[in-house]
Amino acid sequence: MAGEWRMLPMRIDDAFMSMAIDETLLKLNAEGKTPNTVRFWRWLPSAVSIGCFQSVEREVDLGVAKKYGVDVVRRITGGGAVFHDHDGELTYSVVCKQGEVPDDIIESYKLICGGLVRGFAQLGLRAEFKPVNDVQVNGKKISGSAQTRRWGSVLQHGTVLISPEVRRMFELLKVSPEKISDKFITSVFERVTTVERELGRKPSFEEVRAAMVGGFADALGVELVEGELSREEFELAAELRSKYASQEWLRKR
Amino acid sequence: MRYAEFKAPKGVIKVELELTDDAISRISLSGDFFMYPEDALERLEQALAGVKAERESLLAAVQGFYSSTGAQTPMVGPEHWVEAILRAAGG
Repeated sequence: MAGEWRMLPMRIDDAFMSMAIDETLLKLNAEGKTPNTVRFWRWLPSAVSIGCFQSVEREVDLGVAKKYGVDVVRRITGGGAVFHDHDGELTYSVVCKQGEVPDDIIESYKLICGGLVRGFAQLGLRAEFKPVNDVQVNGKKISGSAQTRRWGSVLQHGTVLISPEVRRMFELLKVSPEKISDKFITSVFERVTTVERELGRKPSFEEVRAAMVGGFADALGVELVEGELSREEFELAAELRSKYASQEWLRKR
Repeated sequence: MRYAEFKAPKGVIKVELELTDDAISRISLSGDFFMYPEDALERLEQALAGVKAERESLLAAVQGFYSSTGAQTPMVGPEHWVEAILRAAGG
């Protein structure tokens, strides 16, 4: 685990393009056509992503999503439904050869989430990895990740909760009605936290990104060298985008 | 259509199924668990088709799925699938 990995510039894309870029990186990395890569990005418009095994009808209120202009997309990674607030979340992706991370799934989450833990430390927050796929501060979730392994490479992407709008999340995600009580929402505030809440101020996206870049370089033991998406990557991503935007993919389960 | 949910240590397993003569004639699994590789979930559904909806037969089918595919489901084990399916079958 040494050497140089590519660091892509911050991007802001819609949900379908972002998912397409992540799959492109995974596929072309596996084919040896693109280097191990770290990137940070945001969602525009805000979106809900569901895990690859979830039923969209059971998890998301599509009427509410339409009302707010929120995109809904199925990921290629497992895990749960997430509301990605344009103004409140920084998202990361790490793509590398499988040999760069431990075979054991939880250990590999721990290694990559270690980048986040160090990044939060740089922001002044004491964070810890919480298996399988979360990072916590003061016992509350501040980041969730999901990983897939295909064709010999690994993709892990996840959230850094800076200041998401939790009430909007409850409108969009189908939680049984009795749970959407003030008491339930209070209990969520006891289990989930944000960078803004923990720091007592809202840092800029750039400040958080810079902290996480340093964190990943340390945790992975690599040098992150700035680079761009290649033409081949961009073209494949543009092609894959239509799959993610399709009703067939969204309603797969 | 019978339906039930079961909360495993990591993730909620959601089961929709139909029974014919006490055996599973159709089953659809969903939820927020992790499974590696992801396409193994369809093989689990296939492995359950035709299986009698009682604990021992289900457990044998699910264990057979794990050993034949090598699939990994962190913090979710054969007994959790069986519990979810029994709930749906009984409901």
